[in-house]
Amino acid sequence: MGSYFDFERFLFVFPKVISCIGVNLQIVAVSMFFGTILAVFVALARLKPIPVLREIISVYISFMRGTPLLVQMMIAYYGIPLLLSDVFLNVFGINLNRLDSVIFVEIAIVLNEGAFLGEIFRGAISAIPAVQKEAAYSIGMTGAQSFFRIVLPQSFKLIIPAYGIDLVGVFQNTSLVFTLGIVDLLGKAKTLGAATGHTLEGYISATIIYIALSLILKGFFLTVERKVYSYGV
Amino acid sequence: MIELKGVKKSFGKHEVLKDVSIKVEEGEVVVILGASGSGKTTFLRCINFLEKADEGTMQFGDKTIDFKTAKKNEILHVRRHSAFVFQNYGLFANKTALQNVMEGLTQVQKKSKAEAEKIAKETLDWVGLSDRYDYYPSQLSGGQQQRVGIARAIALKPEVILFDEPTSALDPELVGEVLDLIKKVAQMGITMLVVTHEMSFAQDVADKVIFMDAGVVVEEGKPDEIFVNPKEERTRQFLSRIISLEPMYNI
Repeated sequence: MGSYFDFERFLFVFPKVISCIGVNLQIVAVSMFFGTILAVFVALARLKPIPVLREIISVYISFMRGTPLLVQMMIAYYGIPLLLSDVFLNVFGINLNRLDSVIFVEIAIVLNEGAFLGEIFRGAISAIPAVQKEAAYSIGMTGAQSFFRIVLPQSFKLIIPAYGIDLVGVFQNTSLVFTLGIVDLLGKAKTLGAATGHTLEGYISATIIYIALSLILKGFFLTVERKVYSYGV
Repeated sequence: MIELKGVKKSFGKHEVLKDVSIKVEEGEVVVILGASGSGKTTFLRCINFLEKADEGTMQFGDKTIDFKTAKKNEILHVRRHSAFVFQNYGLFANKTALQNVMEGLTQVQKKSKAEAEKIAKETLDWVGLSDRYDYYPSQLSGGQQQRVGIARAIALKPEVILFDEPTSALDPELVGEVLDLIKKVAQMGITMLVVTHEMSFAQDVADKVIFMDAGVVVEEGKPDEIFVNPKEERTRQFLSRIISLEPMYNI
């Protein structure tokens, strides 16, 4: 039977697990990049009351916030090819069923982040006192000047801490992708566990990697925060 | 120079301004007095389109603007030829004192950075803040912040400055330094419209005093007329209440 945890097995498994980190990092990078862009539009649409769009966005946000990410991933993975495969095959010549499943995961996280980050952005922008905008208008600035030079830079200070937390959250959420058969950190740990009959070493490796990266990301955002906070309140 | 006619403004069902008309000549210092809720701040904000008046017209220089149909470029024209000093200073929190003053010069008047910096420094020197160029608003006292606010206004060389209770948020001991500065601005001959509760300031500096109550102009005239010999009962009540609150130093 032997022990549940063996250090030598751990040393054997760890490099194999960490070698899959690229999958997680790629998902984080891609979904944060496009998620942030989407979120800017979501926030702007929420701040500017445009009749129909406003309702659509509010339904979208409550759907994204009201369902688990795992469910959203499943729906993206199984639903998108079902709905759109004919269109994509005929119009773009792309067979959705052949696409890498990572892409569907990324679509799900991008849509999810669009909602969550969008609300963070909107909250931060509307938290800036109205007098800041009024002061900008009073010296003759246009709406765009006031937004980009006065309001937005000030809201960064509120956005950055929340963005950092969100990013760490996304990184941890990438652990869900192994349920769709993608071999990421956790997927690798699970496969190794199944192959060797020793599961704990792989999962502990994954834990260490997750913690280490989360701490690094947290530290990075703390540094950025301090720089941005330099002008006080 | 500025003439407003029939300005009306409601917030929901509450009618804040009921047909207000005033006239301000070039170089004149006009002080608007009135109790809280009389509509004087709203009126001032309407002039600079920080609040959108429901009705009325404004003659600004040689332009006549209807508040109901005011276009973007008309609003910008008024804002670019006037300046506003806020009750709670309204300094840009993400910019230093110097940058606060430079912002309008570079972004709105499109002056070069060097020229803007020169003007901004001169103006800050003039308001007595030559040692505070690189301080952020959060690092300045209330009085200093308001002096930056005034510097930001006058650096733009506006035709008129609108002051919205510029000393109401200040500690009593800081009120003096800001009032002195506003007097100094008045002596430069800039047209000024001041909403304030500082009676002695109004008496000293104003060319004309307007007394507002419940959204209408109750009385207007020279400070001596208003303070010494008010015609309207409402003005008399207000003045007696305010003046009795001011400290007396008689022995």
